[in-house]
Amino acid sequence: MGLRDVLPGGGTSSVTGGMFGDASPTFLTSKVDWIINWSRRNSLWPMPFGTACCAIEMMASAASNYDLARFGMERMSFSPRQADVLICAGRVPYKLAPVLRRIWDQMPQPKWCVSMGACASSGGVFDVYSMVQGIDTIIPVDVYVPGCPPRPEGLIYGLMMIQEKIREESLSRHFEHRAEDPSSVARPHANDAQVVGLTGPFGNSTQQEELSNKESGATEESPEELIP
Amino acid sequence: MTLDETKAGLDAVEEGPHLSERSTGSADGRIDDPDGHPSVVALLLRFGDSVSGHRVSAGTQHVVWIDSARNLEVLHWLRDDQDHQYDMISDITAVDYGAGRPIDVVYQLFSTVHKRALRIRCELPLDGLEIDSIVELWSAANWLEREVYDLFGVTFRRHPDLRRILMPHDYEEGHPLRKDFPLRGRFSRAEQTRRALDQSVEHSYIAEEMDLGRDPQQAAPIIGTKDGDG
Repeated sequence: MGLRDVLPGGGTSSVTGGMFGDASPTFLTSKVDWIINWSRRNSLWPMPFGTACCAIEMMASAASNYDLARFGMERMSFSPRQADVLICAGRVPYKLAPVLRRIWDQMPQPKWCVSMGACASSGGVFDVYSMVQGIDTIIPVDVYVPGCPPRPEGLIYGLMMIQEKIREESLSRHFEHRAEDPSSVARPHANDAQVVGLTGPFGNSTQQEELSNKESGATEESPEELIP
Repeated sequence: MTLDETKAGLDAVEEGPHLSERSTGSADGRIDDPDGHPSVVALLLRFGDSVSGHRVSAGTQHVVWIDSARNLEVLHWLRDDQDHQYDMISDITAVDYGAGRPIDVVYQLFSTVHKRALRIRCELPLDGLEIDSIVELWSAANWLEREVYDLFGVTFRRHPDLRRILMPHDYEEGHPLRKDFPLRGRFSRAEQTRRALDQSVEHSYIAEEMDLGRDPQQAAPIIGTKDGDG
């Protein structure tokens, strides 16, 4: 049994000139969802936003040994306007935050985001005054790739998860999936409470000060008494 | 580097790390053996009343503390005197030892003529963080002094362009490398994120300043060159 037999009208069609010979149909049926998702997930163009050592692993992923082109990522798109996936590889300081946000805003829908490495995902070891504590406070993130830095296999696995995510999408729920508040352009992705929650595990300095004030509240008025 | 110098350096490694209290910049008037470095001897002879201390650090690095009011004069002499000719400013930085101690501004000099290095330090009390700019001596000092201003809050008098260089231009939390600065900043993370996204990208990343792909001759003018074409 060949493909001809399972196609509509296979074997019995009288239409000539089909792609599988004289007796085959000239059309294929499928779901629009499947076709669209198939083409989208196999032609993702990444926008590399490499700021640190993770970017070296990202370059290695794109080079011949790991060869991202196998996944249809034929070209790293250095312009956000022709990109589908933002790969944020490396730490993002607050001074760079508006740049990252603007690049995300410039990318056309549908778009996805990979947060590559510990620093992009959570701030990593840089729990300091100058560093964004996870890019998910600024832009929506689809896949977090852990590692410091992740190996190319890790990034490829993350991108395959993006492909899997696209496979599950449907036009009927498209706007649900890709909904972004139009007024959120150039605004944080997370609200204040979410940012505070995300920037753990030690909390931010304001919380710390509140805590230390509570703890030392009893002795605050006369610290001299503590000195023997 | 001679064999003796190598041995002295290795001895310093053998001694192991110092406590910060011991290695602080307190210029207590002690003068270590100055004979190992001709510039230190000359400084003591010529500016003896301004030199407030001298140490030999890490085996061969001579450190001289001078009066912060005369830094321009001393450095000018070190640059132009035929016997010294420190024509390169390798680094300008500062150290905050905390606990109310003075902040040290550190000048790392190198003479490409005599192949000698010298470190000059000036103590600045916390209530008087001002010192003369040395941009008129070395143009390279421009950005280095801006960095010290940005991160420590030291004001350089007569600097041609004293503004922040690393932190955002409208950063309001202070000077981050000071010991009294909280590690995670003064604002909450939510406030920091909001302020960060409120920045104008064009203000931080000025196309003219980046000078990408431009003719070097048309690049931003170099301020305060030796020829004085400012």
